Amino acid sequence: MNDGPLIVQSDKTILLEVDHELATEARHAIAAFAELERAPEHVHSYRLTPLGLWNARAAGLDAEKVLDTLLTYSRFPVPHSLLIDIEETMSRYGRLRLEKDPQHGLVMRTSDYPVLEEVSRAKKIAPLLGPRIDGETVVVHSSQRGQLKQLLLKLGWPAEDLAGYVDGTPHPIMLNESGWKLRPYQQLAAENFWAGGSGVVVLPCGAGKTLVGAAAMATSSTTTLILVTNTVAARQWKDELLKRTSLTEEEIGEYSGSVKEVRPVTIATYQVLTTKRGGLYPHLELVDGNDWGLIIYDEVHLLPAPIFRMTADLQARRRLGLTATLVREDGREGEVFSLIGPKRYDAPWKDIEAQGYIAPADCVEVRVDLPRDERVAYAMAEDADKYRLCATSETKTRVVEELVAEHAGEQLLVIGQYIDQLDEIGERLGAPVIKGDTSVKERQRLFDAFRAGDVQTLVVSKVANFSIDLPEASVAIQVSGSFGSRQEEAQRLGRLLRPKKDGRSARFYSLVARDTLDQDFAAKRQRFLAEQGYAYRIMDAKDVGTAG
Amino acid sequence: MSLIRALSKELQARSDESLRALFSARPDLISPGVPDFAALAARASGRVSVQRALERLNRPQMQVLETLHLCTNADTGHSASAAMLKKLINGSSVAAVDRILHSLQELALVNRADPPHGATPAAAKQRHYLPVGSLKDVIGIYPAGLGRSYTELVRLQPAFAQRVVQLVGELHRGGATISPATTPMEAALSLQHWTATPESLQQILATAPDRTAALLARFGNWAMGAVPQAQRRASVLHESADVGPVDWLLARGLLVPLDAAHVELPHSVGVSLRGGYVIENFSLAPPVPRLGHTSAGLRRNAALGAIAETLRLVGEVLYTVREQPLATLRSGGVGVREMKRLADSLRMDVHEAGVLAELCGMAGLLRLDVDSSAWVQPPQLEWLSLPRQEQWLWLVNAWLASERAPSLVGQPVNAAAPGPAGHRGPAGTTINALSAEAQRPDAPVVRKRVLEILRELTLEAAAPDGQAPVLDAAAVLERAEWTQPRMARRFSSLIRGILAEAEMLGLIGSGALSQLGAAIAAEQPDDALGILGEHLPAALQHVLLQADLTAVAPGYLDPELSERLLTMAAAEGQGPATIYRFSVTSVRRALDAGQDAAAMLDFLRQHSATAIPQPLQYLIEDTAARHSRLRVGAAASFIQSEDETALLELLNAPAAAGLGLVRIAPTVVVSHAATRETAQVLRGLGLAPVLEEAASAVVRLRRSTPAPGSGRPVYTAPRTAPPEADIEAQLAVLRANGSRAPGSGAHPPAAPGSEEATQLGLETLLKAIRLRQRVIMNVVDSMGNATRETVVPVAVNGGRVRVFDPDKEMERVLSIHRIIDVEATEELFQ
Repeated sequence: MNDGPLIVQSDKTILLEVDHELATEARHAIAAFAELERAPEHVHSYRLTPLGLWNARAAGLDAEKVLDTLLTYSRFPVPHSLLIDIEETMSRYGRLRLEKDPQHGLVMRTSDYPVLEEVSRAKKIAPLLGPRIDGETVVVHSSQRGQLKQLLLKLGWPAEDLAGYVDGTPHPIMLNESGWKLRPYQQLAAENFWAGGSGVVVLPCGAGKTLVGAAAMATSSTTTLILVTNTVAARQWKDELLKRTSLTEEEIGEYSGSVKEVRPVTIATYQVLTTKRGGLYPHLELVDGNDWGLIIYDEVHLLPAPIFRMTADLQARRRLGLTATLVREDGREGEVFSLIGPKRYDAPWKDIEAQGYIAPADCVEVRVDLPRDERVAYAMAEDADKYRLCATSETKTRVVEELVAEHAGEQLLVIGQYIDQLDEIGERLGAPVIKGDTSVKERQRLFDAFRAGDVQTLVVSKVANFSIDLPEASVAIQVSGSFGSRQEEAQRLGRLLRPKKDGRSARFYSLVARDTLDQDFAAKRQRFLAEQGYAYRIMDAKDVGTAG
Repeated sequence: MSLIRALSKELQARSDESLRALFSARPDLISPGVPDFAALAARASGRVSVQRALERLNRPQMQVLETLHLCTNADTGHSASAAMLKKLINGSSVAAVDRILHSLQELALVNRADPPHGATPAAAKQRHYLPVGSLKDVIGIYPAGLGRSYTELVRLQPAFAQRVVQLVGELHRGGATISPATTPMEAALSLQHWTATPESLQQILATAPDRTAALLARFGNWAMGAVPQAQRRASVLHESADVGPVDWLLARGLLVPLDAAHVELPHSVGVSLRGGYVIENFSLAPPVPRLGHTSAGLRRNAALGAIAETLRLVGEVLYTVREQPLATLRSGGVGVREMKRLADSLRMDVHEAGVLAELCGMAGLLRLDVDSSAWVQPPQLEWLSLPRQEQWLWLVNAWLASERAPSLVGQPVNAAAPGPAGHRGPAGTTINALSAEAQRPDAPVVRKRVLEILRELTLEAAAPDGQAPVLDAAAVLERAEWTQPRMARRFSSLIRGILAEAEMLGLIGSGALSQLGAAIAAEQPDDALGILGEHLPAALQHVLLQADLTAVAPGYLDPELSERLLTMAAAEGQGPATIYRFSVTSVRRALDAGQDAAAMLDFLRQHSATAIPQPLQYLIEDTAARHSRLRVGAAASFIQSEDETALLELLNAPAAAGLGLVRIAPTVVVSHAATRETAQVLRGLGLAPVLEEAASAVVRLRRSTPAPGSGRPVYTAPRTAPPEADIEAQLAVLRANGSRAPGSGAHPPAAPGSEEATQLGLETLLKAIRLRQRVIMNVVDSMGNATRETVVPVAVNGGRVRVFDPDKEMERVLSIHRIIDVEATEELFQ
């Protein structure tokens, strides 16, 4: 009997006992083909998915190696059906290859004739294919490269794309490494990406994804299109690029709702590209009409559907996806795989945290008892109003004040969903409030002031959720959240995960009204955070101020 | 002389050793015991016994027997020798055939006989044989897959008899080298002669349209085939150029129509197609399958993994059934909906759940509770407290001995032949788990045989070190078809299921027979226990508690512990480890079941390898704090009054003591007594209560008579040979009775009603039918009077005899049980 750290379950999950002496070794071995699903303190669980296995195949790992890893590190016999399943799944990747043929242009080749027969008879695929050259080769209309890959993945025969990329217009870009250096994992991520051609780099929030993008741009040294979630994120990319690379203000353009500049490096928002007018996307030309050598997708997990559609047409250009998680709430992971590319680099949060690049976070759930009148109001409220009632309890405001007092002198964020509540808290704390109707300029000013330390407390609504760099925020207090979305939680925590200068751990409070819907949602949040491996504590509101 | 009497003499002359061998090979001969050799011979010639004996023959033995059957005729005394058979069996040698004939004689399936009349002196010196009388019935109408002769077809197929003269005439006129005929029998002989040799048939077929050879090849193993409109009128005279192969063959009489949809390939055509042989391919050695290999490591991994998984799942089935028994349908078995519930709670698909439920059923871990018609777990189940390797052996033994075929569950009812006829459902229904339809009485024998074959093949394959041969259903079936061709059909429907179940029980791993499987196949379960004991780790006594409100058992958790955990958390995942997830609902369930927060936390602390995470503690304590906010109790009536003092008075009144009053609020008192009784007592106290609407409460109590307990299954391999003591006892009886008339040539008449008399009578009857001769029958009429009649029997079928009464010139049907005895008229003995 083996005494390894892994337990391979027949439901395709792998449990890793963290305290085992071989745990680190085993973790590295399985990270290549299994997705980390949950990382609570003792037993981490990974999941084997077809996508994960294909990602591994794309990275050059074969089934034998995967089976060997499982058998070596597994404590108990590995379910035989699972072994067969892995072998079977992995052998599907690469049986079809997209290649460049000097004579016929883009072709699909196979080493397995029946597979080609099967897919070329599929109703949706047939129109994308041109004439058959021989038994194993068929011409593909080059405009259909993306769509074909997408459909093949759906059929379970993911194609290996070896057709190469267009070079794009050259434009010299260099990293400006003065006073800082690319971290080893960032370097590795950029190299892996470049070697693979296209694909996704998965790094936790705060681990410096922007720099991976910058490094990729420097390697490419071509004109680059960067797609980001919103204007503020666009500005941050611009600032970062100016600081870290040889690019100058004139070389970087912003293409958003307010400004439409096309420069060698252009940063566009998803929103402007997906704006529809008269049934058309007027800004698509930005993507199509320029000879970009590299396209970077920030926050791939949020990529909206129309962008997928246009990405399908961009298969001849190098694509880099950056994200903190491959999990999409809409389950479109397959499209990320087929259209942007397989995962090229993935570092578990814990590993990077252990290397000291991101700060550990300490999550505290503060349970607040509703006062009697609020409880009665809650009990009698309509279902639709219940959550708002318990989430905006007045007691919470008082607890926020106590917490702010406790953390005096630290950079602190208060995050919430309900504007009235936020306004009230802002008033009580004398802190500025950033919400939907705050102008971009004002937001920018406030964030700058916060970063500089001029403003110590900011109250923000959910506009702050995505892609806004707030270094030095060391405490966040969440007073209400939008129904416990996992995505939102990761983002909020991401705000705080930026490394602190003095190495202090960040603190994340969420205020929860006891015995209400709020607590039910909090339970989901708690599960998610605990699964992500954060220390999670619960305390009573009355203990605030007594215990640190 | 009667074949049975000849056999009786032959048996009596045998050595004890030879008889012992016969009894072990055909145990039904002495079960129940027979009084003397005559009875023994009668039984050995009986149809059922011959059928059983044939099931044990291997392919070369069957081939020789079938060939012998084809080229002999007991009625004319036309016997055959090995040399004659050799000519009809391609690839055989005289020595091999002779050896096989001898072995068949040892089995009392063939008898030594005199050489046929007119044999050359050289040939007459050889040993000649005749098959046992009932062989014809057992083998069926197509021995060796060959059809009947033209003459027989003409005799039995009136439609063909009508047509055959014309057909031969047309052929003759069409230029075929066939002699014309005027009667059907002549025509049949002409056809027979025309197709008699491979060369002549080749010549005929030379002008056949394409695809004819392919069509004929399909008659290679069986002489009958289905074609649409078999009775179409095809003629060589007006044949178009693009005639189809079926028309072409029908026009030449090479296929004979039987009915609207079936045709038969006549004997002579079949033999000529086989190159003049009855048996085309004869081999003394079994076919050796080409087998793949798997590594020994993978095999062990798969087998042990499967065992751990099966034991875990069986445990879960029992847990689920304890929570809620499996209800049965009125028609028997557990319905699809109920199975779905089980499958959902086991997080697996319905088919697997069905197989598991069957396994539990056959092992006695589930019992049908007769009162509630539901499958329940018997109380005090010993299985639960056994170490895992013994649990496994319990399941394996039960499986080996069980007459059920779990893999039939979920299959269409009609496809699962041969089931008991009474249980056939309407078309389209499938077999339910734990229902009568999955019963297969031959399952233990087939299982044993499959395991034996697996072992044989594994030993034969002699895989290189660290490798094991992968055995699939096809290889096993091929071997089964060689060793027991007559049994192979039963194998084919069960074998896949048996292999899958063996895989579930770890007897097969990664497609190869595991060490455990080999030990079980060799009937050495203790070896298997030893191997398994080494590899199954002991039960864990702790879990890992985590802040995401889960407890992980990294391996097999002590069952008691696991059960306790399941009361307060829900199990997740599928595999060697179990994840228990705590939630408000699960904790509440534990509280409902009477546990309190402190006890739960205590239990967790005791069995956790780490400290209890704070969120878990909060969850349990908060839920417990909320748990008792509403309280429910039982009361038969209540008394409500705004006057609190009146209630206090009432509580203290001695006359009201019998009501069992409890004050649950300042203005409410509840009573154990019914409303009317309470009101009466109150009235007696001078109070004037108003009766509020009364409702009767019915308390349903669950039946609690315990179901019978369940014992450990003891597997004894299905016996293929009778115990030695029985053989010796039988021998002693035979020899004792035989010595009374040692070597006497004259046979005493068989006692009426004895087994011997029946078989003898039947033999006479069948012979008379074949030769169309008269017999004298002693028949009991419907009034009970015995009468003696001379009749010509025509056919025996389904317990009735069709006879022709020459005196009255009419046919009658007699039930066989009305016939006391049958006596041949003199002509039969000529």
